Amino acid sequence: MSVEIKENNILIVDDEKGIRVATQLLLEDEGYNVISADCGEKGIEIGASKEFDIAIIDLKMPDVEGIEVLSNIKSNFPNTICFITTAFASYDTAIEATRKGAFGYIPKPFTPEELIYNIEQGLKQRNLLLEAERLRKEKEEKLLEIANEKSRLSTIIKTINDGVLVINLNGQLSYFNYAALRYLNISDFKIGDKILDKMPEQIINLYQKITSAEKFLIKTFTTQIDILPNNELCIEAALTPIANPDGSLAGVVIILSNITQFKKIELIKSQFVSMVAHELKTPLSAVQGFLNIILDDSLKLNEEKKKEYLQRSLIRLKSLCDLVNDLLDISRMEIKSKQREIVDVIINDVIDSTVNFLEIELKKKKISVDKNIQESLPPIKADYNEISRIFINLLSNAIKYNKDEGAIYITSHQENNFIIIKIRDTGIGIKPEEKEKLFNEFYRAKNEKTRNISGTGLGLSIVKKIVESYFGKIEVDSVYGYGTTITIKLPIN
Amino acid sequence: MALIAVIDDDPDIIDASSIVLKSKGHSIISATNPNDGYKIVVENKPDLIILDVMMDEPDDGFYLAQKFRREKINTPILMYTSISKAVGMDFNKSEMVPVDDFVEKPITPDQLISKVEALLNKKKENV
Repeated sequence: MSVEIKENNILIVDDEKGIRVATQLLLEDEGYNVISADCGEKGIEIGASKEFDIAIIDLKMPDVEGIEVLSNIKSNFPNTICFITTAFASYDTAIEATRKGAFGYIPKPFTPEELIYNIEQGLKQRNLLLEAERLRKEKEEKLLEIANEKSRLSTIIKTINDGVLVINLNGQLSYFNYAALRYLNISDFKIGDKILDKMPEQIINLYQKITSAEKFLIKTFTTQIDILPNNELCIEAALTPIANPDGSLAGVVIILSNITQFKKIELIKSQFVSMVAHELKTPLSAVQGFLNIILDDSLKLNEEKKKEYLQRSLIRLKSLCDLVNDLLDISRMEIKSKQREIVDVIINDVIDSTVNFLEIELKKKKISVDKNIQESLPPIKADYNEISRIFINLLSNAIKYNKDEGAIYITSHQENNFIIIKIRDTGIGIKPEEKEKLFNEFYRAKNEKTRNISGTGLGLSIVKKIVESYFGKIEVDSVYGYGTTITIKLPIN
Repeated sequence: MALIAVIDDDPDIIDASSIVLKSKGHSIISATNPNDGYKIVVENKPDLIILDVMMDEPDDGFYLAQKFRREKINTPILMYTSISKAVGMDFNKSEMVPVDDFVEKPITPDQLISKVEALLNKKKENV
């Protein structure tokens, strides 16, 4: 007959050899792992060496009392099920044994059925104990986890850049981080303080809207608030109601984000858009004005006049087209800074090909170009088209604002880690008060000498953008009426 | 017929406007910057000023209009603007800008004439 192998370990502690051996054989026969000890001291030693499922301990032993062995085992392994066996069963010892943690009391002599029945009951009890302990441990771990989570969350909320505060239905502060107080420009507040009155008006209004609503709605309301004037500190407040477990309104969470930078960018953008709109509309208005008077028969313009106005319209349209191209260049540059094609660019080659490119314009005004360039300059790492754009814009200006039969002097040389290029013209020059505005978008020096020169006002601002994106420098030097020198410094690496 | 000062930094706009106004028998004086504009108004005392909002600097037209009013030059001013509705500016609330009427470029000859006539008639009534 095969015996079912049980995993359970049983310890027998009994000084009476006959009973000890008989019990061991019986239990082994049932499939249990059994270890036995022939005295109390050994029983304590073996009982401490590992955790047994069941211990069967004789009450009366010569060296150590069974109760003491029981206490020892129980103190090490509270879930070990202990039985006390004795031939001198008495009510008192049974109570004492139970008090010390014995699960059962088996009077000697016992039958195999009695023993096995007790052991099975004991094992059931042990499983219950083990399960209970497992649950308890799980619960403890969870509690620890929750505590950790709580402190972690609170650390996160305290350190984030956004302001967080919670105001309850009484208008009291029930949670906050320091960013919130900083953004609201208030200090010295603690949990429980009445804070609602100290809030900006927009927040109070939204808070009242949320708390006085008839129905509880999970909805976030946002508002933008200028905490400091002139766009120095601007925040966005987002108010969201929070509920009690029963679904009723508990208070309002307010998240404050610093949107100062966005506001500034928005302002720059809208200024730029309005400038572009103005610059686009001005030539269109002029052309429309001319076409209107050409088509108006009541004005009785002669053919010559009509032709003149059509010519002037054409010039305005050409400059409008240039402007659109420059604007496209700017937007392309902004995209391009992310996808530049960096190659070795030899500055002297770029200068040569730009001069060739502008040959027709140079001949038209009979302008001579005088180059004094240092041979074998090291190449710079850059996007060829961008560097080329620098020289096209600068040389176009040197031609456009030059006098007829004037000259352009170009020099290049190396100085430490920089290549220095100077482009000097013999043109109309720049007034000192115009110099600082020269690189502004759409700025064009307006005086009697520039009146008949068309331009978009974007060329130099594009040049400056490119030069600075390579950590270079651009300088302008001019004597009004005599000419202008533009100096470009580009780093070799 | 009236003497009208056109102050605009765009010579093409001055010419186109002048032709339209001259066809109605008005005389035109013009300037392309605020300083010259101030001078021709003080020296010639025109019946009407047509003033561009944006000249060299974005606020030039406004400043010049304010300067006239500060100095008790109460000549009617028709202000030319080229941006307004597109960028959300509403120039028609003229509390801050002491001008009599606005017109947004581009402007047709008919519009220009009717605005100018209206302001000249108003001036006559006031006098």
